Amino acid sequence: MTSEAKTHAIDISSMQRDDRQLNLDDEQITLQVQDLRLSYGDKEALHGINMDIPKNRVTAFIGPSGCGKSTLLRCFNRMNDLVDSCSITGKMLLDGENIYDRTVNVADLRRRVGMVFQKPNPFPKSIYENVAYGLRIQGINKKRVIDETVEWALRSAALWDEVKDRLHESALGMSGGQQQRLVIARTVAVKPEVLLLDEPASALDPISTLKIEELIHELKNDFTIVIVTHNMQQAARVSDYTAFMYMGDLIEFGATDALFTNPEKKQTEDYITGRYG
Amino acid sequence: MRYSVSEWTKSGSPWVWLNAGAVAICVIMVVGLLGLIAIRGLAHFWPADVLQATYTHDQNRRIMGEMVQQEMVPAEQLRGAGVQVEDGVEAMRRDLLKVGNRDFLPADFFWAMDDWVVDKTYPEMIMAAERLEWGNFYGYLREVRENGETVARHDGYDKSDAYMEVWDEFQRRIDRVLDIRDQILEIEKHKIGSINYEIERLRLKERSLELKQSTDADAYAEIEARRAELNADYEVLQQDLIELYGRINRDSFTAEIADGREVEIDIAKVVRAFLPNNMGTGDKLVHYGAKLWEFLSDEPREANTEGGIFPAIFGTVMMVILMSVLVTPFGVVAAVYLREYATQGFITRLIRIAVNNLAGVPSIVYGVFGLGFFVYFLGGSIDDLFFPEAKPAPTFGTGGLMWASITLALLTVPVVIVATEEGLARIPRSVREGSLALGATKFETLMKVVLPMASPAMMTGVILAIARAAGEVAPLMLVGVVKLAPSLPLDGNYPFLHLDQKFMHLGFHIYDVGFQSPNVEAARPLVYATAFLLVVVIALLNFSAIAIRNHLREKYKALEM
Repeated sequence: MTSEAKTHAIDISSMQRDDRQLNLDDEQITLQVQDLRLSYGDKEALHGINMDIPKNRVTAFIGPSGCGKSTLLRCFNRMNDLVDSCSITGKMLLDGENIYDRTVNVADLRRRVGMVFQKPNPFPKSIYENVAYGLRIQGINKKRVIDETVEWALRSAALWDEVKDRLHESALGMSGGQQQRLVIARTVAVKPEVLLLDEPASALDPISTLKIEELIHELKNDFTIVIVTHNMQQAARVSDYTAFMYMGDLIEFGATDALFTNPEKKQTEDYITGRYG
Repeated sequence: MRYSVSEWTKSGSPWVWLNAGAVAICVIMVVGLLGLIAIRGLAHFWPADVLQATYTHDQNRRIMGEMVQQEMVPAEQLRGAGVQVEDGVEAMRRDLLKVGNRDFLPADFFWAMDDWVVDKTYPEMIMAAERLEWGNFYGYLREVRENGETVARHDGYDKSDAYMEVWDEFQRRIDRVLDIRDQILEIEKHKIGSINYEIERLRLKERSLELKQSTDADAYAEIEARRAELNADYEVLQQDLIELYGRINRDSFTAEIADGREVEIDIAKVVRAFLPNNMGTGDKLVHYGAKLWEFLSDEPREANTEGGIFPAIFGTVMMVILMSVLVTPFGVVAAVYLREYATQGFITRLIRIAVNNLAGVPSIVYGVFGLGFFVYFLGGSIDDLFFPEAKPAPTFGTGGLMWASITLALLTVPVVIVATEEGLARIPRSVREGSLALGATKFETLMKVVLPMASPAMMTGVILAIARAAGEVAPLMLVGVVKLAPSLPLDGNYPFLHLDQKFMHLGFHIYDVGFQSPNVEAARPLVYATAFLLVVVIALLNFSAIAIRNHLREKYKALEM
């Protein structure tokens, strides 16, 4: 089945969806994935992925557990470099530049491609210092600049009103939902081009989840967002484009409305109607 | 309701009881040990009543002294020792009396058969005096003399106003002597000490000029001028000292001792005199406090069997602090490399095994290594390079505070490495990734996030290191601890901290007082007291480290996820 799926790897440029509001052809492309293969030791986890991530849109990755969607997401900011046995072939272009090129500075890349993880992971510092962390790493030490950026980032993450009176208290005293929004603020503060969200709401209660989803809507004006989610309703709610992955292959990729209402592939239909996964 | 043994066994209760019993035994042993050394050690400073009695066995002679200990001895053993014991008696009580007066009597401790000690009384006017030499004195005050002439005299044995007047006169003169002794100490220890220190430095400076074959006449002249100045200062101080010594030796007193002789003693030799049988509980408490403070704050006298142990406390704490300062960065850097940077594999496994085994090497082996490598090799090389002017006397080429601290740091570094590694392993991966995802490099992540979060674990390592190092004696004997150090390693003379100096240590002090002392009976209570103090010092060092750790823990409360 894997080989069959591979032959069906979607050639996005050839997709015709005139009846949709959104069309990938009309989009500016931020990230291009070209025949990306990734293996952990002998085991290949991604079997040649090709896709374009449109700028200032929300792209969702869905698929059953172990399908490789998180692995693919972690390729965008080279987080997989931390895994010793991991090897990657193929290209991934950020604004036309291959991020797997030898000359690329990984720290710079991660500044341009920020990431928010499944579980909130604030540092054991104050709320203020958490948001200022990325700026201090860049060597920005002017108090005025940091103050302004911290406020802006916390406002962007819809957190400012809740925490403005306790900026210097420990971030570990916040609720899970607040912590996750703090992590988003922390990532936004360094002004990346792309925001990667790895199941950002999976550890949160429904109300916090709702806030995060509203936040994603707000943020897509400024950032290109890629989100991995288990929750198909969430994907349908927040994303403009959706990619369905299965067993290390990209099965289908297109505008979210189209994919959910009229999937082209049988596998996609089976998954979104809940027949497996 | 029936209750079967097998069910009881299955329920796990026997094992709970067994564990609880084992814990209880441990607690009892620890508390018992602490209790024993605390009681034996701290009771020593309580002013004991002085017994006066007649000893029928030996021509009905009068004896005076403190009751130190009583024990039952089997008759068999006594007969074997040549003591006549009546038939039918199975055991006899034997008393150990501290009769003092080492300069007048054959021995200052005396075993007496309790049955033969009769007419026991505790006369109010028996005096106990602590002296700078010859130990305690017991007797009846008779006369106070100034320049050999009688100032006051009383011949009775009972308390009376006339007797108390003589006693008060005596006390006034002791106070005067103490005052003068303080002045002498100030001059000898601090002023002359500084001058000697500077003269020695001038000598070394001159010698180093000679070694460089310098012909700079000005430099020599400058040294000579400064030396003349110092010598002039010294002369002045010397005159002061002679005058003070003349004044301190003015007074003396006479007293009647147990065998009826009247002896004369210089008041200059007296530290304090008191009437133990005449003291109320309040007086005794004050006396106890003063004695305890003396023990904590004074220098030892009489081959370490009297006076205080301040230099040993100071040396122990100083060494442990230096050791901690040395061991922490080394251990942490090693652990960070092993855990964060080194490629995990055969070599790192080998290193970990080596580190763990290092923790099990007997400490005396570290002492030998420290002596051979640090003291002789490193110290010798340092002397050749930096202190050629002091040769042939070694500066760092002999045991000292620095080498002792480094040796102990080496001894404890495995503990810190292991604890830090465990701490690093516990930092959640998600936090590291969070930092990396913000564009921090691995080093920045380590410095700003991982190490602060692992700091409580490092403190745990340091606590364990302190616990191990503070109690260590064996290696120290080889690398710098001495039984009596003339000065503290930290003083007012530049460069203030003298890392090359030998120092005293509580653990070694216990060994020295307990087993190297000429007067075992006199030293025994001090062994207990010093042991108790060592435990207290280690506990205090540990508690402060634990307090720091808890503070850090509170600050970096782990992410509970």
